[in-house]
Amino acid sequence: MVEFSHLTKTYKKKGNAVDDFSLTVNVPIFGFLGQNGAGKTTVMKMTVGLLEPTSGSITIDGVPSRDLASRQKIGFMPETPYFYERMTALEFMRFCGSLFQNAGGRDEAYEALLKKVGIYGARNFEIKTFSKGMRQRLGFAQALVNDPEYLLLDEPLDGLDPIGRREMKEVMRDLKKEGRKVFLNTHILYDVEEVCDEVGIIHQGKLLYAGSVRAFCAGKSLEERFTEIVEAHDAKADAAKTVAVASASEIAQS
Amino acid sequence: MEIRDKILYAIVAFGIFYIVLTLFFSQLTLGELQMTKSFGLAGIYFFNAIIALFLGTTSFYKDVDRKVVYFLFSKPVTRAQFLLGKFFGLCLVLLVASAMLGLVYFGIVLYEHGGFDFVGLLAIFMQFLEMALFIAFAIFVSTFSSSLVSIVFTSAVFFIGHVVSALLTDAKAIGLGGIQYRLVQLIYYVVPNLEKFDIRDLAIHSVPMPLASFGLALAYAAAYITLLLGGAIWIFDRKEI
Repeated sequence: MVEFSHLTKTYKKKGNAVDDFSLTVNVPIFGFLGQNGAGKTTVMKMTVGLLEPTSGSITIDGVPSRDLASRQKIGFMPETPYFYERMTALEFMRFCGSLFQNAGGRDEAYEALLKKVGIYGARNFEIKTFSKGMRQRLGFAQALVNDPEYLLLDEPLDGLDPIGRREMKEVMRDLKKEGRKVFLNTHILYDVEEVCDEVGIIHQGKLLYAGSVRAFCAGKSLEERFTEIVEAHDAKADAAKTVAVASASEIAQS
Repeated sequence: MEIRDKILYAIVAFGIFYIVLTLFFSQLTLGELQMTKSFGLAGIYFFNAIIALFLGTTSFYKDVDRKVVYFLFSKPVTRAQFLLGKFFGLCLVLLVASAMLGLVYFGIVLYEHGGFDFVGLLAIFMQFLEMALFIAFAIFVSTFSSSLVSIVFTSAVFFIGHVVSALLTDAKAIGLGGIQYRLVQLIYYVVPNLEKFDIRDLAIHSVPMPLASFGLALAYAAAYITLLLGGAIWIFDRKEI
């Protein structure tokens, strides 16, 4: 179970990227939705230890995300993965595997993972020769190198062609069958509808909804409901701002 | 990763070519041993300095800037482990490069004069220590600035580090006082004194290095590198990546 408690991330220039965010995730595939810049990636980066929260906490099965021990249980695929370009895919998998306790997985295991994501044939090619889609697939494969219980995937389907997307979604379903939990960041609503058990909607750093996809949609399409909830939030925020400005000017006049 | 960099191989190949050239230089001076040693050790120093500058200012910065560290820090790896691993890894690359250039150098000295240059070996080791300090400095600067700034800073320290002793002596000799002298003193204490590692003159004339000087240089390098890496870890731990 991943628990976010009153999580806030404040940047000096940009203000709150994540604002008092609380959520408990305990379903096989959780889709985290939001527009670009909504705070999805910031939440994920804090979960895997790339960023320090300004306040609040994250725990993974009760272990604080700051604790290195929590990383034994997770696999992370960053958005637009960058690699050591002169390594081959198999070498990169070995390298990633060696960073874990009880390191030294066998090549067969790494090759099986490369097979799973569909780049086994390119295992001995240097990564610098890979297309964007192949890089996405390798990013996915390295996230599985420690046999993690939790997978955090940041826009994993970006850059993949339709067949690649279908294959990756199939991999996610397989992971679900294996009992792993997937936390998926995306702004592509169609994919979420297809694979996710629950969704969380984040907008301007705030969590607007968390729960089942079906209950959220209530007969409408996910896109329609997503737009409604985001626009309703913006309208509410604008109204509050107008009231605040009006009261400030009234105080100034009196 | 760095050992797969073609630029590194090109630098080492040029270094080897240069050291082999000392065979011809020494022929010009009727096979004088000092000339062979002087050119050879200077060549090793020069090419190692290029390697240290190239690796120190780019390797760490590139990993952070290109977000390759996202893969590392989402695994059970601390930032300090990454930084120290990077430092020792780069030192190892430099050690291998030094060994390759050194082997060619010792081969030439042996071929020309029939003996092993023990003081030369010590001189190469001292050069290696200087370059390790150089790499630590470059990594330190890379934690808060870009690769280009790191190149400028590190090159400046490289040049100032070799004249810092003379600078203080000259300031005393000409009776510099007040704030100007304090400034020279500040530079003297802040910038590493790289002359402590230069024993090429001793090696050229086959004069052994005093043990006390060797110990002092070793302790000096260790203290400076520890301080620089400690500072780098402190800054890097607080950096938003």
